[in-house]
Amino acid sequence: MSNIEIGLLGLAILLVLLALRMPVATAMMLVGFGGHWAISPRGAIPSLGGSAFETSTIEALAILPLFVLMGNLAGVSRMSRDLYDAAYAWVGHYRGGLASSTIIGCAGFSALSGSSLASALTMGRVALPEMQRYKYSDSMATGAIAAGGTLGILIPPSAGFVVYAILTEESIGRLFMAGVLPGIMLASLFVGAIYLMTLWKPELGPPAEIRMGYRDRFRALGQALPITVIIVATVGGIYSGIYSATEAAGIGCLLAFAFALYRRSLTLSNFADAVMNTLRSTATTFLILIGAFVFTPFIALSGIPDALLDLLTGLELGKFGLLAIVLVFLVLLGTFMEGFAILVLTLPLLEPVLRSFGIDMVWYGVLMVIVLEMGLISPPVGVNVFVVKSIAEDVPMNDIFKGIFPFWIAMGVALFILVLFPDIALLLPNTMFN
Amino acid sequence: MSQPQQLPDRALTIVDRAVGWLARLGSITMVALVVMTGVGVFFRYILVDPINGLGDVLGLTLSITVACSLAYGGRVGAHVAVDVLGMVGGRKVTRWTDALVRVLGIFIIGVAVYALIKNGLCGILCGFLTSSLAIPHEPFYYFLAFGLSAYGVVLIAEFIAGLVHFSADVDPSEKSN
Repeated sequence: MSNIEIGLLGLAILLVLLALRMPVATAMMLVGFGGHWAISPRGAIPSLGGSAFETSTIEALAILPLFVLMGNLAGVSRMSRDLYDAAYAWVGHYRGGLASSTIIGCAGFSALSGSSLASALTMGRVALPEMQRYKYSDSMATGAIAAGGTLGILIPPSAGFVVYAILTEESIGRLFMAGVLPGIMLASLFVGAIYLMTLWKPELGPPAEIRMGYRDRFRALGQALPITVIIVATVGGIYSGIYSATEAAGIGCLLAFAFALYRRSLTLSNFADAVMNTLRSTATTFLILIGAFVFTPFIALSGIPDALLDLLTGLELGKFGLLAIVLVFLVLLGTFMEGFAILVLTLPLLEPVLRSFGIDMVWYGVLMVIVLEMGLISPPVGVNVFVVKSIAEDVPMNDIFKGIFPFWIAMGVALFILVLFPDIALLLPNTMFN
Repeated sequence: MSQPQQLPDRALTIVDRAVGWLARLGSITMVALVVMTGVGVFFRYILVDPINGLGDVLGLTLSITVACSLAYGGRVGAHVAVDVLGMVGGRKVTRWTDALVRVLGIFIIGVAVYALIKNGLCGILCGFLTSSLAIPHEPFYYFLAFGLSAYGVVLIAEFIAGLVHFSADVDPSEKSN
């Protein structure tokens, strides 16, 4: 059996194991180890032990638990409420304004939390009762929360970018910066989608009865000031090169902790909850990374990336043709596979091909994260949809998916714009540290 | 009056308790990560006197956090799986596939524990030291092996509980997730 045949067999077995509900991490470890054993038996055991240990001790990865903890502490200190109130004060009186407030609040909260699930859950608990009070349609209300939550993995800090950076050896700071403008653009497209939907069917999102005066609006904005301080201290610090992404995460975490203490919203019980939730995310990410670091050498040894490169070069697709095929494939994959799983499974195969086609991996990282966002709200396994369902138990799944559709289209538009204008993603990383 | 637990269920309860303690240790090391990062920033930027080797300590503390989190993640359903089969085939299919998948999981976790111990034993001879402070990796290899073996124990307990409740409508491990 040739190495490529072993590699293809390994991929087939991996798909079968995933279909049998084996956790992605252990499936990758099993196939990666087995395949490595079949190709080069002597190196398999040391590689397995080395990969597991090295992944767990990468200092840069300390950023993951730190930023997740920061987001959890921000949730505890009711920053999500402040963000929502500020957005509501400014746009709540427009048609569909509460849904737009939810999107803006989610975008703001995304700058405090690297997790889309945390963004959807935290903001959903605040925004859903308000939208129900103003008789928003269930589909619009739940769709806005699920879609807004996805901004969590695009706007820095983003767990998706950290994992991507580690797998591709790109700079975490550059990737974080690359997510800022596309994140703002996507949030604007979501607000645009809400505007168009309510223009077409006004009953989907009636305006709030009270239009706030400017004094109240600025007061609400002032309430959200601590959030601005944390965002400037973390994202601003990374952009200006004052400190590293890991240091920024530590500072953000301490600031969120201090703010929660100041507000007297931190109890021993909710602090323990925040830490345990962070530990749960740590387990998810690190075991999957260990799996990826065991699987990647096997794929490289099998020679599949080289064969794939030869095949695609022969097709004379060009850079954009290749990108189009890859993105469509990933969008389809996103309908039944979890985002992290797509990231770690496809990167070992695609990275060498994309690099040899001259595709900027920071740009591709942004495109990929948007595709993962689409997966988060795609039926049948869109994780954010289930999160929203957990806080809107009486809303049928069909209604939630119906409400998501306009936002899914907006994501497709964002993807298209970013493919045409890569500078939207690359401007900030290319101007970092002046 | 509450019914006495069956032996596998009792085993799961004991595993949960042990995993809970491990998670508490992980929480402490996570808080330590935050404090160390903050102290590092203070020394580097306020006192302009960076702490030598802090990165080494951060990396190794992270490995303890990770080791402590794996088994806990296993019990709270943190390890991502693609659940299409559950929707399509239902419990009558997944009761079989879950058993198979757990056996395979126990096997690969066992191999990984062995690989970590083997690498750890090689220790300083293989150059397994941190770059700045030359802290030996050996004990941390063992601790990660311990953390992974705890996840293996979780899988064994869930496998046995799954077999005992094979005909039941719900897998007891999924109830806890």
